[in-house]
Amino acid sequence: MMKSRKARVGALALAATMAITAGGVTSPAQAKEKKLTIGFVVHVVGNPFIQQIIDAAKMAAKDLGVTIKVTGPAGAEGDAQLTAVQNLAAAGVDGIATSVPSASMVNGLNAVIKSGIPIVQFNGLGEGVNAPYVGEKSTQSGRILGKMVLDKIGGTAAKGKVIVGNCFPGFPVLENRQAGVLESLKKAAGVEIVGPSDVKVDAAANFAAWQGLLAANPEALAMVGLCAPDVESIGKVNKAANNTKTIGAGYDLTAGNLEALANGSAHISLGQTPFIQGYLPVYILVDSIKKKIKINKPGFIDAGTEVVTATSVTEPFKLPKLTFKDLQAMATSKTKTRKYYDPVVKGYIKDWKKNLKPVSAESA
Amino acid sequence: MNLSGNVQKTKKFKLPEETSVLVALIVLIGIVGALRPTFLKPTNLLNLAASYAIAALLAGCIVFLLSMGEIDLSFGWILNLSAVLAGISMIAGAPVWVGILIGVAAGTAMGALNGVLTVFMRLPLIIVTLGTASVFQGVSLISNNSGSVVPTEERITQHVYFRALGGSIDTPVPIILIFVVLCFVGLHLLLHKTRFGYRILAIGSNPEAARLAGIPTKKIKIQVCALMGAVSGVGGVLFLGFRGAVDPTTGGQMLLPVVAAAIIGGTPLSGGAGTVWGSLIGAMIVGVIGVGVVFIGIDAVWGTLVTGLVILFAIGVDQIVRVRKKRAS
Repeated sequence: MMKSRKARVGALALAATMAITAGGVTSPAQAKEKKLTIGFVVHVVGNPFIQQIIDAAKMAAKDLGVTIKVTGPAGAEGDAQLTAVQNLAAAGVDGIATSVPSASMVNGLNAVIKSGIPIVQFNGLGEGVNAPYVGEKSTQSGRILGKMVLDKIGGTAAKGKVIVGNCFPGFPVLENRQAGVLESLKKAAGVEIVGPSDVKVDAAANFAAWQGLLAANPEALAMVGLCAPDVESIGKVNKAANNTKTIGAGYDLTAGNLEALANGSAHISLGQTPFIQGYLPVYILVDSIKKKIKINKPGFIDAGTEVVTATSVTEPFKLPKLTFKDLQAMATSKTKTRKYYDPVVKGYIKDWKKNLKPVSAESA
Repeated sequence: MNLSGNVQKTKKFKLPEETSVLVALIVLIGIVGALRPTFLKPTNLLNLAASYAIAALLAGCIVFLLSMGEIDLSFGWILNLSAVLAGISMIAGAPVWVGILIGVAAGTAMGALNGVLTVFMRLPLIIVTLGTASVFQGVSLISNNSGSVVPTEERITQHVYFRALGGSIDTPVPIILIFVVLCFVGLHLLLHKTRFGYRILAIGSNPEAARLAGIPTKKIKIQVCALMGAVSGVGGVLFLGFRGAVDPTTGGQMLLPVVAAAIIGGTPLSGGAGTVWGSLIGAMIVGVIGVGVVFIGIDAVWGTLVTGLVILFAIGVDQIVRVRKKRAS
C-alpha cells in the first residue's frame, strides 16, 4: 500500500515537473523591460481558423513588443474558458482578449473588468459584456452568403431544396449568420429549406453530417454551412458523390476550404478576416493601457467580410486586389499575411477609436 | 508475547488513505507558488476552488458509482438539462426556490431513469448512459431552442440565491465552496457510515456475493443512479446561480475532469472501494494543474497533455494495486 502511495505521489510530481519545465519562464532580461503581458483566450484549441486568429494576435504582440499568453479549452465550453480568463487575471496579466461563446461567461467577465483588467472580445460576442467587440457583422454576412447562393441557383425564381447546417446551435454569432442566410433565401418562394441541421464542429463528424444530408436530399440545389469546417466537408462530399450540381457555400478561408473552391467541389466561402480579429484586440489593449484609455463599455469594431469564389476575391477596407492564388499562398504563410495587411495595421487598426461603433451595429 | 505484539500492531497509527494525494496536491501548489508567488494569494486559491467546486461535487458523487463498479456518462447533460429546466421555470414565473426544486427533481428523475434502464435492460450503466446522454442533451436543446438560458428579471437576479452564489454578497469564503464542502461531509458519511454505503461497496466488491447475501442489488443500483442524478441536478442549479446563465454546451466537457478527479483521488475503477474526500483532493489537483499551466504561461495544449498523463499514471497505479490484491487473495 505504501508503495502504491509513493508511486502515485511520484507520478503526480513527475507530471507537475513536466508541466513546469515545458513552459517558458520569463528571462531576467524580459523582467527588466517590464513588458506588458496580454492574455489571449480562444474558445477552442486546434481549429485551423482559430489558429489564424492566434497567429495574428502573436504578430501584434511581436510588433508591439508585448508578451502574449495564449490559452483556451480543448473543447468549446464557456465555463472552462471563463476559468482560463480568471486564471490569467489572477496571474497578473495587464489585459485580456477573449472570444465569448457563452452567455454564462458574461457576469464573470464583467467581474474581471470591474477589478481593473481591461478586456476586448473577438469572434464571439457576449451580450452585456462591458468591453468592445471585434468581429464581423454576422447577420449582414449571412445575408451576403444567402444572396450569393440564391444568385447561383437561379435567383428569386429558384425552386428546390437548400440544406443549411449549423455546427454549433446556440452560438450567437452563428445564429445571426443563420438568420441572415435564411432571410436572403426566403426571397425565393420556391426554395425549401432543409434544416438548419446540427453538422458538428469536429471535422470527421462534420463530413459525416453533410454526407448524410446530401444522401437524404440528393436533389438539393445547395448546401450552406455556417462554420469553418463546412466548405471543406461539403467539397469532399460533393467529390465523393461525383456531384457537380449542388452548390457548396460557407465560411472561412482555411487552406482546406480554399482547396475545395479551387477544385470546384465547393463554390463560395466568406472570410471574416481572422488577421484583424487577432491583431486588433491585442492592439486595442496595448494602446488603451499605454494611453490610459478606458474601454469598459460595450462597442463594436467591424473586422470586415471577405467574399471568395474560385474566380474572384473581394477584400474589405480597400485592401489591394488579390488573386485566388495569392489568397491560397497567404492561408499558409504568416509573413505574406502580415505584409498584405500592413496598410490596415497602419490605418484602420491604428485608428480603432474612430471605428468603434455601438454594439447594435454588429447585428444590424 | 505474540498476542501483545499483535495488540501493539493494531494500535499503530495509520495514515488516512487520502494522504498520498494530499501530499501531491501540496507539492503541486508549492511548485506553482514557488514559481509564481501570486498564485498563493488566499483570494486566488479560494476563487480557484470555487471555480472547480461543481466539478468536485460531481466527482464526490461519482465515487458512489465507481465503488459499485459502474460509470455514468450522462451526468454532465443531466446537470445541463436540470439547469435549463430550473432557469426556464424561473423565467416563466415560478419563484426561484421552486425553480431550484424543479431542477433538482428533474436531475433525480433523470438519474433514476438511468438506473431503471440499466436494471431492466440488464446492461452496464456505461452503455445505457451512452444513449441517455444524447437524449438529455437533445431535450435540453429543444427546451431552449438551442440557446442560452439567461434570467434577466430583477426578481430573479436580485434574489438572495443568485446574489449569494454570484458573489454579490461579500463573504470571506465563496458560498458555493461552503455548500460543496457540506455536501462532501454528507456524501462521506453516506458512503462510509451507513448501511446504504456498505451495500454499495459490497456490490462493487462482488455483485454475486452481495446478491446471495440478500442485498437488493437492483434497488441499490437505481438508488445510486438517482443520487448521481440528484447531485448533478444540484450542480445544475448551483451553476445557474453561480454564473447567472446556462448555455447549450454547459456540462458537455465535464466527464473527463470529473472521472479523473475521482480516480486520481484514489477510487479504483474496479469497484469495492472509494474515497469521497480523495475525489475532492483529486478535483483540486486537476484544478491546480489547469491553473498552474496558465500561471506559468504554458499553452493550453500542454495542460491537456499533462492532465491526461496524470490520469494515465493514476489508472496505472490503480491497476497495479488491483492485480496485487487479486494475487494476494
